[in-house]
Amino acid sequence: MTLTLPLLIPWVTGALLVALDGRRPRVGWLAVVALAAHLAALAALALELPPAGALGMVAGGWPADVGIVLRADRLGLVFALASAVATLAAAVRAVLDGVETRTFPGLVVLLAAGLTGLFLTGDIFNFYVFFELAMTAAYVLTTYGGGRRELGAALVFAAVNLLGSSVFLLSIAGVYRVTGTLAMDAVAVRMAQVEPNAAILIAAGFFVAFGVKLGLFPFHFWLPTVYAGARPAVAAILSGALANIGAYGLLRFGADLLPQELHLAATVLVLVGCASIVYGGLLAVSRRDAAETLAYSSIGQVGYVLVALGVGGPVGLAAAVLYAVVNSLNKTMLFLAVGVRGALVSAAFVLGAFSVAGIPPAAGFVGKLAVLHAAVAAASPALVAVFVAGSALSFVYMFQLYQHDFWRPAAPGAASPWPRQLPAAVLALLVLAAGLWPEALLSLSRGAAAVLRE
Amino acid sequence: MSLAFALTAATLFGAGAYLLLGRDLVRVVVGVTLISQSAVLTVIASALTRGLAPIHPLPAGPVSDPLVQALALTALVIGLAVTALMLVVVDRVAHGYRSVTRDELAATEAARDAELARRRHGEQDEAEVFTES
Repeated sequence: MTLTLPLLIPWVTGALLVALDGRRPRVGWLAVVALAAHLAALAALALELPPAGALGMVAGGWPADVGIVLRADRLGLVFALASAVATLAAAVRAVLDGVETRTFPGLVVLLAAGLTGLFLTGDIFNFYVFFELAMTAAYVLTTYGGGRRELGAALVFAAVNLLGSSVFLLSIAGVYRVTGTLAMDAVAVRMAQVEPNAAILIAAGFFVAFGVKLGLFPFHFWLPTVYAGARPAVAAILSGALANIGAYGLLRFGADLLPQELHLAATVLVLVGCASIVYGGLLAVSRRDAAETLAYSSIGQVGYVLVALGVGGPVGLAAAVLYAVVNSLNKTMLFLAVGVRGALVSAAFVLGAFSVAGIPPAAGFVGKLAVLHAAVAAASPALVAVFVAGSALSFVYMFQLYQHDFWRPAAPGAASPWPRQLPAAVLALLVLAAGLWPEALLSLSRGAAAVLRE
Repeated sequence: MSLAFALTAATLFGAGAYLLLGRDLVRVVVGVTLISQSAVLTVIASALTRGLAPIHPLPAGPVSDPLVQALALTALVIGLAVTALMLVVVDRVAHGYRSVTRDELAATEAARDAELARRRHGEQDEAEVFTES
């Protein structure tokens, strides 16, 4: 029951909320309550999880090969929790701003259902179905606001990501062809005997699909238009919750299902990751618009996750998980701070800037330390240099943004009422707490990385 | 048989990619649809066994793999929903802005960039005044 609850709550309430008029504040707050209940259900599931291992069940009491297999392990839960926090915060911000369309609250809740499903499934094809559920909700959410820029952003987002989904489906077909199964556990065992050429092709397909989702350097072209074109609350959901699919997918399909191919491609991953860090950092420095700078910063930040994945081993994988989670928190908070003014939110923004640049009191420091540790473990001075350069660049663009948006005497608009500043401020407290007491985050990420069969 | 499937899927993918690169937004949607159809075709082609229809009670002899057909159906339904959604967005762009080409959307972005650049320029002037006084 604990395993189905986190999925059932958002699914059922989402389907109901879509039918109601979301513009009424009461419906919006209902969605927030549903998302909070969803987060609580995930937390309860995390507490129930055995120290090492997974909880599994087959929906409807079918035999394991036939029914829908749900499986919760530490890796999936860490990402599910991070995404749930991001969606909840973004929903609160949107409701406080006043929802403009009927379907918005319902779609946010349905997106949460899709995300939870894909983090908690043990079957590759169900992963695809939940993935599409979350993505379809996201396509509609990107149009939120209905202006010219939003519609343009939604079209670009949908076209590029559908291409990614098709590549993903092609790889699933390949996996079924060569292994004869879609259950992740069985795939991981049988993949070892597969002919290397076919396995490399399949792995490349998965890499492209998740690279598109994450906005890694060669697949990043859609990301700035979409993140800057969508409303701040939607951009927070896209970067804080939806981008987790990419990081989780790379870890699950790379390190768990196709570890040999991951080893083979390690150098490529590290190079692509470094290119992402440098490219994202440089372009972010050149922008002045807050949303656009943050979008390019996202491209740079996911580079660290990829490099850590490429370095591999327990240290590298734990660093990848940790950095992905911290980055999701950072980006949610910063996008929620866009367009709001006031003392609370500017304090939150400073903390976010510290966190992105990796300066001590914020959680970003722990993440940066972990990836630096991975670079040292790989005995590569070049990697350390790239990381430090990337941090320096992020420090520059974040404070450029801060100076521009919060310091100028003639900053547009007076301070926003304090409830609107609250979502960003609460997330900032979370980032600060995670930075001051990093043991929890470290042990979580180590536990998550230990699940991987690499 | 596999070769026929592979060739058809490759043709569909190529045609879709070509349309996707076009200017017309309706063509872009058709291109995306063709590519997703090519993926569905590949899923069907990945069946491990071929034979009689797998209807209970099972006939003697080989039966075709029912799993890929279920997968293909699911993928088709998802594809249908997403295509409908994209067409609606294109329709809204067409009605709201009397344009269905990508250039117009790009022009919106360019106009915004120019606006931002102008604002930045204005700020620099402001800053200069600030230092002078």
